[in-house]
Amino acid sequence: MKKTQVIAINIVIMALILFFIIQYTNTKMNESNKSAIEAFEKMTVSAEQIVTNYLLDEQHLCDIWSNYINRSAEAGSPMTAEEAISFIRKAKISPDIYGHLIYPDDPLKNGISTHRGLTDTADYSVSYRNINLFENLNNISTEDGVVSLTRAYTNPQNGIQSIAFMNFVSVLDETTGELKKALLMRVEPVSTLKDKLVFFNGEYESVEISLINSDGDYLVHGKSLKNSNFYEYYKSYNHADSIGYKKMVDEVTSELGTMKMFNSKGEECIISHIPLKSLNTWFLLAYIPSRELAASTVVDWLLLGMVTLGLLILLVFNYLILMIYNRKLSEAAEAANQANEAKSHFLSTMSHDIRTPMNAILGLNEMVLRDSHEKEIIVYSESIRTAGKTLLGLINEILDFSKIEAGKMDIINVDYSFVSMLNDLVNMVQSKAEDKGLVLNLDVDRDIPMVLNGDEIRIKQVITNILSNAVKYTKEGSITFRAGFEKAEEDSGSIKLIISVRDTGIGIKPEDMKRLFMAFERIEENKNRNIEGTGLGMSIAQSFLNMMGSHIEVESEYGKGSVFSFKLVQGVKDWTPIGDYEETFRKHVSERKKYQETFTAPEARLLVVDDTQVNLSVFENLLKRTKVQIDTAISGDEAIVLYRVRHYDVIFLDHMMPDKDGIDTLKEMKEITDTPNTGTPVVCFTANAISGMREMYINAGFDDYITKPVDPFRLEAILLKYIPKEKIAPVSKNDGEEDNNIPDFIFGIETLDVDTGLKHCGNREAYLGTLEMYVDAAPKNTDDIEKYWASGDIKNTTVKIHALKSTSRLIGAAKLGDFAARLEKAGEAGDTDTLEREIGELLDQYRKLIKKLEPLSDIKKEVEDERPVISEEDMKKAYTDIREFCASFDYDSVGNIVESLEGYRFPGDEAERFDALKKAVDNFDYDLIPELLSD
Amino acid sequence: MMVKTKGPVPGILISIAAFAMVLGFSACGQKEENSTEFKPGLSTETTCSIKVAGSYSNFESLESEFERFYEYYPNVSLNYVFLDDYENTIAKALRSDEAPDIFVTASWMLDDDKMSPILDNAEILSDPALKIDLNCIRKGARWTLENGDVIMLPIFTRSYGMLVNMDIFEKNGLKVPNNYSELVDVCDKLKAAGYETPVMGANGTTVAGMYYAFAFPMFCNNVIRNPESVVQLNAMEKSAGEMMRPALLRLKTFVDSGYLNPDRCSEEIEDDYNAVIMRFFEGDVPMMLGSGDMVSGTMKRESKSEKFMNSPFKYKFYVVPLGDDGGYFLDAVNLFFSVNKNSSNLDMTNEFIRFLMREKELGNMAAIKRLITPTNDFSLDEVYSSLEGFPEDKAFSYQETGLNDAVNKEFRAAAYKVANGIMTVDEAIGAYGSLWDK
Repeated sequence: MKKTQVIAINIVIMALILFFIIQYTNTKMNESNKSAIEAFEKMTVSAEQIVTNYLLDEQHLCDIWSNYINRSAEAGSPMTAEEAISFIRKAKISPDIYGHLIYPDDPLKNGISTHRGLTDTADYSVSYRNINLFENLNNISTEDGVVSLTRAYTNPQNGIQSIAFMNFVSVLDETTGELKKALLMRVEPVSTLKDKLVFFNGEYESVEISLINSDGDYLVHGKSLKNSNFYEYYKSYNHADSIGYKKMVDEVTSELGTMKMFNSKGEECIISHIPLKSLNTWFLLAYIPSRELAASTVVDWLLLGMVTLGLLILLVFNYLILMIYNRKLSEAAEAANQANEAKSHFLSTMSHDIRTPMNAILGLNEMVLRDSHEKEIIVYSESIRTAGKTLLGLINEILDFSKIEAGKMDIINVDYSFVSMLNDLVNMVQSKAEDKGLVLNLDVDRDIPMVLNGDEIRIKQVITNILSNAVKYTKEGSITFRAGFEKAEEDSGSIKLIISVRDTGIGIKPEDMKRLFMAFERIEENKNRNIEGTGLGMSIAQSFLNMMGSHIEVESEYGKGSVFSFKLVQGVKDWTPIGDYEETFRKHVSERKKYQETFTAPEARLLVVDDTQVNLSVFENLLKRTKVQIDTAISGDEAIVLYRVRHYDVIFLDHMMPDKDGIDTLKEMKEITDTPNTGTPVVCFTANAISGMREMYINAGFDDYITKPVDPFRLEAILLKYIPKEKIAPVSKNDGEEDNNIPDFIFGIETLDVDTGLKHCGNREAYLGTLEMYVDAAPKNTDDIEKYWASGDIKNTTVKIHALKSTSRLIGAAKLGDFAARLEKAGEAGDTDTLEREIGELLDQYRKLIKKLEPLSDIKKEVEDERPVISEEDMKKAYTDIREFCASFDYDSVGNIVESLEGYRFPGDEAERFDALKKAVDNFDYDLIPELLSD
Repeated sequence: MMVKTKGPVPGILISIAAFAMVLGFSACGQKEENSTEFKPGLSTETTCSIKVAGSYSNFESLESEFERFYEYYPNVSLNYVFLDDYENTIAKALRSDEAPDIFVTASWMLDDDKMSPILDNAEILSDPALKIDLNCIRKGARWTLENGDVIMLPIFTRSYGMLVNMDIFEKNGLKVPNNYSELVDVCDKLKAAGYETPVMGANGTTVAGMYYAFAFPMFCNNVIRNPESVVQLNAMEKSAGEMMRPALLRLKTFVDSGYLNPDRCSEEIEDDYNAVIMRFFEGDVPMMLGSGDMVSGTMKRESKSEKFMNSPFKYKFYVVPLGDDGGYFLDAVNLFFSVNKNSSNLDMTNEFIRFLMREKELGNMAAIKRLITPTNDFSLDEVYSSLEGFPEDKAFSYQETGLNDAVNKEFRAAAYKVANGIMTVDEAIGAYGSLWDK
């Protein structure tokens, strides 16, 4: 998990905890606010009761006055206005309370007061002329206990803001002597009422009690409520539309409740409202800033803050710990990486460093091989070559692997001839398969485009690997190489190359499949220990294919065989179909066979460089008869070693080679000054058969250019061009004939396949020798068979027929061999009838073949024996050794001694004895040997 | 008691030196705190209650100042009280147990002996010990007693002129005229552009009516240039009527040219306040004549005019450029504050007055009320921005003319009658002294 993810999860958890706390706190706060508001509302109810009580009390006092005055009138002794005021003056206690008696019908609203004017001591008159107070006189109730109250107004007598409780009275009009309706007002300063409300400030510090009428006009109001009208105030500081405004008015004038609003400073405040019970048109408002009611929830925010801080500290702490662990881990990872890099570096350096001396060894060994005439040295040198090449192959694999691991392996796409690549592959695998007696089947789609674009070297490496493995792990049967293609869906300029290799080898167990592509893993190590390899081949092949966007697919049945296949997208440069490859290949091989060289140049020496051994062999064989001395090198580095020390007349250098390609090798060669090859022409030897390539190679410094597969005539032309004239001689008549050339009559024997015989015997010399021996042994063999058959010795008859089978097959007389094999089987089965019936025919055929081969002994006699004469001492020692090996049944050693003795000429009778000895060995007649050597 | 009044009028006990004020303020508190932040002079912990009494039923601009003052003195409680029948009740209130600490006064109170008990209660605010910055008040708004004492501080002033619909001028590529010829030119162009009567107003004889705003400042200027005429004018001597001629002639010309149509104004504008404003907000009147009160009323009426809300426009106040070299800024104080010298919280009351008498606070109050600030800083309300840097020689207060109320009324009547074709200019001048119909 990434660091950021861990932190993100931590933060999410933190956020969830905080969210929970906030929700919880909010719920608690809301509950707390709700209860605070409820308490505030209760306070409002109390205030309303106090105000109501006060108003009712004051109204009651006013009513007492009016009742007294009205009772007098009702009793028939109405008071005059003066008397009424005089009564009130006496009845009222507080000097701050004024009694006013006004005649509502008087337009000037004049009347008399209990108090004198402030300026004129004798003036008790009062006038409400300029005070708009009596618009709704009809609303004034005459009933007791119903409060009839004015708005807050200025007492015209003293200029004090006052309110007045009212009731009607009937007084005597002194001028008319009739009763007159007058309005009695108990006038009190508003401050008196305000004083009653101060009481609440103890409970809530900032509470302000206001009284408004239904129009919103204040009777009293606190410091915070501005304007003369509450509704106007609300409108000024709360952006309410007409609906919101009406809702607010309805709410305030309905029943007990609470609302929120903003004051003139933009602060939220709470208004608790309740209508006055005593006066339906008056409403009490209790104002308080929201923060005062919400003050009690501070603790919760503290808790929240502390939890947040704690979580943050925890997060930071965890983060630090995580960082420390991460640092340790990354240090460990770094160390591991460094170790791995060191390993890769070591492998790479080591492989490279080994390769350089290996190239020198192989190169120099090649020179030994060429120059030495001693048989033993050549044998040793051949072994060095084989072992060296195996080792080089392993090293190359390790180098590739370390390059892949280090990410230094690049895919380099070039245009290449598919046929050329196929050629290299088939050449390589065919010889290997033949060596093991395996059949190589080819199935190549004739429509595959001629020129493709891709990393030829890597693809070749992959297929080579698969094919080599197929050969390695197949003991008998066949290997089928298939190449096909399909058009790439996504790109019209590409194809999907389909390669598959089917073998009849050992197969892979399903449980081993997983390990197939693992580096250094070798499947069934114990069983296959004799098969060389690093266990890297398949891993490298798979890596290359992965780099090219593909992969190897394997189908296998243990014990029956496997199919390795892959599909690979390749660009197409030339859509011309390759045609019938098998035919082309066959034609090419036969052309090569038909080629008859027109010159010899035994003095000339060539260097041929190619990373494919088969190509080198083909090249060598092509020029064998020209007697040109050929050195080969399997890599650029190996070539450079040879280039430094030995003069060559022409150098053939392959272009596409792993590691150091032809161009790089050429560049390096040209830089070498200390060499006998200054001025030696270098011919590019390449599969790159694209037009325009010639110019490219010439520009790169090559002197000429020849494509693979090599056209022998073109090769000859090049050689004639570059080999100095003095080294070239025309072909003499005898040049074509080897000393041990097979006589033409032998090719004419129908029942004999010379090619098979040659293959079995290795070379012509050995073949001719074998034929001679076959002929020599024939009389005795026929006699023995007839003799044993006549005496009824079926066992020995069968042994003799077995020998006939082996020797016949060896010389290429397959038909006779098969005939003998059938009778051998019959003999082993005790089938005397078959033997009886056919043994005569077998011997007839045998004799016919011998008859046809007889001219061979005449030719042999013509050849002068140039072998050295063996010393008596050596001869005796050899005979003693043979006797001893026979006694210990070591017939192989007997064979070896006899073979080595063949290099000598035996004097007189000893020659006959040696011939008899040789025949006995050839005929596996080991019992005869002690007898021959007895004397 | 010596108070300043409009002139030595017989029967008025108090003698006045009308122009004493030119010197008056030189001895006042120094202009030391005006441009800087207010620094409390008392303990900011002081707890007390201060009451301001006035005749406005609503005084939001003052309440806004209360809030600003609370920032310095949070424990002080300021309260505005509206007194019914203010003229009659303020004197009594001042004597009562609940006497206000600050009370509203007006210039006319100086002339009314009934008001003398009120003014007797007023503290002398020019006392240097109080450190009230009286220099922030502009020349035309200063009122000083003959003896140099200042007992009334101007809070709002008003003037007379016209509201100009700036959008109409801009749309027609016109500039607001600076002198009479430009005014005539602009009116011609506006008429050509389809504005039939480019100038409108309330066709009446009140100070809020259009003739007062249009021609009276020019008449005053003529009187100031001819101070010898004052006595005759005040005495209603017929010959003095000649002083009205230049202003009346210009008015007559305007009406005759069709720039101003009294009949149309009567038809479309019912009163000199609400109707004038609402008509102006209809958006098709380039210039609307009226008083400062009309301008004050615009703010609350913008939202009440559907036409204005649908297509609002920019407007500003200008004096009418009736003179050849421009118009005249007739400066009139709308409202004064006086301090009850018997206040039980006199120190804090004076502190509040010291706080208030600053360009910033006075400007703030004026902007809320949309009246003209008594200071020279007109920056707080763009509507009055034309008054910024107005030439001093053409700015004067009515009291500077020395004319009494009767002259004022005679002129208004003359202008009305000439404009409405009831009299010719000559007839009106000839009838001076008997023009006002009671």
